[in-house]
Amino acid sequence: MIKFEQVGKRYPNGHVGLHELSFRVRRGEFLFVTGHSGAGKSTLLRLLLAMERPTTGKLLLAGQDLGQISNAQIPYLRRQIGVVFQNHQLLFDRSVFDNVALPLQILGLSKAEIGKRVGAALERVSLADKAEQFPSELSTGQQQRVGIARAVVHRPALLLADEPTGNLDPRLAAEIMGVFEDINRLGTSVLIASHDLALIARMRHRMLTLQRGRLIGDGEAV
Amino acid sequence: MSATRIPPPQPAQRVGAAPKKHEGKTPGDGPDFRSQLDAWLESHRASLVDSLRRLAKQPIGSFFTCLVMAVALSLPMGLALLLDNVERLGGSWQRAAQISLFLQIDASEAEGQALREQIGAMDEVAEAEWISREQALLEFQQQSGLGEALKELPDNPLPGVVLVTPKEVDKVTLEALRLRLAELPKVQQAQLDLLWVERLTAILNLGDRFVFGLTLLLVMALLLVIGNTIRLHIENRRTEIEVIKLVGGTDSYVRRPFLYMGTLYGLGAGLLAWLVLAYGLGWLNAAVIRLAGLYGSDFALAGVPAGDGLSLLLGAVLLGYIGAWLAVARHLNELQPR
Repeated sequence: MIKFEQVGKRYPNGHVGLHELSFRVRRGEFLFVTGHSGAGKSTLLRLLLAMERPTTGKLLLAGQDLGQISNAQIPYLRRQIGVVFQNHQLLFDRSVFDNVALPLQILGLSKAEIGKRVGAALERVSLADKAEQFPSELSTGQQQRVGIARAVVHRPALLLADEPTGNLDPRLAAEIMGVFEDINRLGTSVLIASHDLALIARMRHRMLTLQRGRLIGDGEAV
Repeated sequence: MSATRIPPPQPAQRVGAAPKKHEGKTPGDGPDFRSQLDAWLESHRASLVDSLRRLAKQPIGSFFTCLVMAVALSLPMGLALLLDNVERLGGSWQRAAQISLFLQIDASEAEGQALREQIGAMDEVAEAEWISREQALLEFQQQSGLGEALKELPDNPLPGVVLVTPKEVDKVTLEALRLRLAELPKVQQAQLDLLWVERLTAILNLGDRFVFGLTLLLVMALLLVIGNTIRLHIENRRTEIEVIKLVGGTDSYVRRPFLYMGTLYGLGAGLLAWLVLAYGLGWLNAAVIRLAGLYGSDFALAGVPAGDGLSLLLGAVLLGYIGAWLAVARHLNELQPR
């Protein structure tokens, strides 16, 4: 699914975000990327979302070389990926339904199909009764679940999450992680960047540890 | 582990890119042409409705933007319409262009009448009128205010005149006719005065150029107005654009609502400009009719012809669309997901 081959990222100001990173992720795998602030977690996610390009090495996502992908292809690549942010990135002038429906509208699905899929996605995150409400009327945990529903509603092959539990209390964080596991069980590869080691340890999945842009650990979290 | 290729970005396949384990995936899951067309139309309808809703949300701001554009559109269009009217007026005067044939002083009344009949029978001539020496003197006494002084003259110094109204007003044709008439017996001088018509034409040409230059300048101003307005809309929707791009929205998808917005601004401005011109010309017409009446003319300004009005509307819509396109093209690349 994902293949990093000696991937490096150096910014124009000289800062090195990633240093010769090499690892692979299988289809349907669930893994964490952890490390302190500045370790390179966000850079890794940005490379996978084609928000930035690697300066060295080769990064393959489902066979596509993200270093060579054209700008016109990027939107189509992103349609294969779901992304969850720490700050949710919801549109506050749209209802929960409309927020979740956005990726499907972009795909050009019919109204009926959108209604069906959004309903199913909201059901999965236990927010079916909040469809007509606006994000500002929801709690932080509910907002995060709306963000997850939007990330999975178009059935992506890969789900990326950047510190998805960063602002949540432990109970809510565990609940959100449960939702990610449910999604993973349906076949979606899940890659979560997090520095919450206690939570990661409880999940018992593969964990990549980054330090100053280098991979210093790859194994099951304990 | 070997890499698996993401299906190519064909709309019918994109949706089915998820693994088979996913729920809801059926053989007929990929949208057919009809449903894709429906979805495309629905997407345009949604963009249009969304743009209308956003304009309606700020009615005063939207109205004033349209008004500024309408004023900029009305100025050159109004001037062009006024010039058209002046050209129409000039044309009617031109049609009244006459060749004056001054006969020799010894030409008799009978010779004058005979000449009038001969000239009146010519193909190029619409009408020929004979003015005898006595009649000419009488008119001159009445119009010049020199009646008493003229009475002191021993003889009538004025010749008999044949006034020729030609059918054609083309300058070359008129000159040829004038030369032909000058050759006729008893004709002392054939005079054709078209200088004032040429001057008027030159002034109108100058006016046309002025309107063209003004139009170019105001078109640029309009593009700037619409571009700046759309830029503000883009800034207000920065987060939305970033999210849309992150979830796979193409540039054309992001651009669409702004193009509708520009088009709607253009449509509103075009309608307002049409209204302003129609009322403006109507208001001016009352004064023009009064002035023309003082000169014994029934001239009146023509309103905004339907064709010109529709051209104005279409031009405004196009300008709105182009202005929006330029603004979005300029700012879209700056709005990358962070």
